[in-house]
Amino acid sequence: MSANGKAPNWFVRHVVYGAAGWITLLTYLFMLLPIVVLIAFAFNAGKSTVVWTGFSFKWFEKVISNRNIIDALEVSLIVAVASAAISTAIGAVAAVAITRRSFPGRDALGAALAAPLVLPEIVLGVALLVFMSFVGMTLGYTTMIIGHVLVSIPFATLIVRAAASSLDPRLENAAADLGANEWQTFRMVTLPQLMPAIFTSFILSATLSFDNLVMSTFTSGVGTTTLPLRIYSMLKLGITPEINALGALMVLANVTILLLVMGRYLPLILKTNRR
Amino acid sequence: MSTTIKYPSPSKAVVELRGVEKRFAAFTALRRMDLTIREGEFFTLLGPSGCGKTTTLRLIAGFELPSEGQIMIAGQDVSNVPTHLRPVHTVFQNYALFPHMTVLDNVAFPLTVRRITKAERLERARAALDLVQMDAFGDRKPSQLSGGQQQRVALARALVNEPQVLLLDEPLGALDLKLRKEMQAELKAMQRRLGITFVFVTHDQEEALSMSDRIALMKGGEIVQLDTPTGLYDRPANAYVADFIGETNMIPARVVSCDADATLVEAMGTRLRVSGYHGQAAGAEVQMAIRPERVSDEIAEPSNCAEGVLADIEFIGTDLRMAYRMTDGSRVVMRRQNSGRAAPQLGETRRLGFRQQDLRLFSR
Repeated sequence: MSANGKAPNWFVRHVVYGAAGWITLLTYLFMLLPIVVLIAFAFNAGKSTVVWTGFSFKWFEKVISNRNIIDALEVSLIVAVASAAISTAIGAVAAVAITRRSFPGRDALGAALAAPLVLPEIVLGVALLVFMSFVGMTLGYTTMIIGHVLVSIPFATLIVRAAASSLDPRLENAAADLGANEWQTFRMVTLPQLMPAIFTSFILSATLSFDNLVMSTFTSGVGTTTLPLRIYSMLKLGITPEINALGALMVLANVTILLLVMGRYLPLILKTNRR
Repeated sequence: MSTTIKYPSPSKAVVELRGVEKRFAAFTALRRMDLTIREGEFFTLLGPSGCGKTTTLRLIAGFELPSEGQIMIAGQDVSNVPTHLRPVHTVFQNYALFPHMTVLDNVAFPLTVRRITKAERLERARAALDLVQMDAFGDRKPSQLSGGQQQRVALARALVNEPQVLLLDEPLGALDLKLRKEMQAELKAMQRRLGITFVFVTHDQEEALSMSDRIALMKGGEIVQLDTPTGLYDRPANAYVADFIGETNMIPARVVSCDADATLVEAMGTRLRVSGYHGQAAGAEVQMAIRPERVSDEIAEPSNCAEGVLADIEFIGTDLRMAYRMTDGSRVVMRRQNSGRAAPQLGETRRLGFRQQDLRLFSR
């Protein structure tokens, strides 16, 4: 709108608004086009990821029958679920303690849990690797899960903390007044109200772990190659539509999870936070 | 839930505060308070915000611990007993219903945490909901209820375990006027029926007068007067009480003489008799108080009257409220029932009568 309150002039209407529209469109294309192309070439009959030669499902069949990929998927899922469960549990307990209790070092604990957020992951990875070889741990599931917990814990804590600090402390007062001891109050009043946030933090932690490449590089051992590590090593041997097919499957899985989360839990989260 | 009618037994104390003091950092919220609340009574803590009434309630509930003194509930010293082990329940101003539970689960909560069997707690929760006429809403979530309905559920939840004392922290504050009046009557009736001691906190003096058996009027962390509603209204202990409860004319006056049954004062340009000995020496400057509805413009007692000019008239439906300017310049408000009798005209001079037993004197 022009400054004098009249309708915008020709220049603003056609050039400025027009440009804004085009920039928005291009931004979306820039973000989504590579994924669309990737998915399209997953159905290519030929071996090329640039030249279209015909429609086929054969690369999907190849992915599903590739033992290495299936093994890597299994590793990724185990690590994702385990590390998400651990960091969500620690995050939830820490978040409740930080928002509900006052104890010496409370602020320091809060800051320490958020620290991995600002440290470069590669530094964390190197530090963890050095520490693990120092204490003599063999690289494998344990080391990788510890590494992934380290990456996802700030996010898990922040999400549950935000939810915990928006809880009404008067509800806990009311529970005590009605005869609930501290544990009953936590289990029956505090925890159920935090469930949407805890679920969100689990999904986010699992996604972060599933996508992780840097930390996995440092902490994986023999037999614990994750899917991103496997894809990275496949790329070294040349790009085939098999990678496109794998990528398409991963996009499908992620979108499904996202829609499930949004459909089921987003309204709940919004409702809990509204007051 | 028992439905036999119980009346307050005047002797038995159910809540006792003995020299209770509560200090927060630099602020003393309660000063050496002694208070006895009797079994089965509707007791109200009344006062302006910051007077310590809510602190008193929180001390009884156990949300705050006293800095000094003892709190007894049903004969037991609970000064250091945690909230969840005290035989009192609270109805909160914001209701504090658990948003993730259904109405029925909310009401059953006090029974659930006491590990009462599912069948029994559902039955008792339904009975409590029935008591507040919310039995049709058991499956709803609190967010699907109106403010008045949430209020009823909060009441049912606090009553389901049959506490010895029910604490109510301005429970009607968020309701609109009509609903508030309805709930006042209902609360009072319920209290009578259940015989449970109610300790009610409010800043609304009308609410306090209409519901309570006894009222403690508080100011600055202390009880100014503890009395029945009529006692508080008709025999205020000092000018603060007279002014806080209802409407009062405060007229400057000077004591002329006094004897055992009456005090003679000079006020509004004339001399008036005030019943009783008020302990003031001749010549003392005092405040004379009279309720607007006790002032009369039909002179029944020609000896005790003063002249004034009608300065303002207000029509309130049931009543007429008239402000007179007296000959010495003081203002006297009188209230008269709208009986259909013609009202005097503005500017008209009238003689106002004051019955000597309706006048009260307070030192200035």
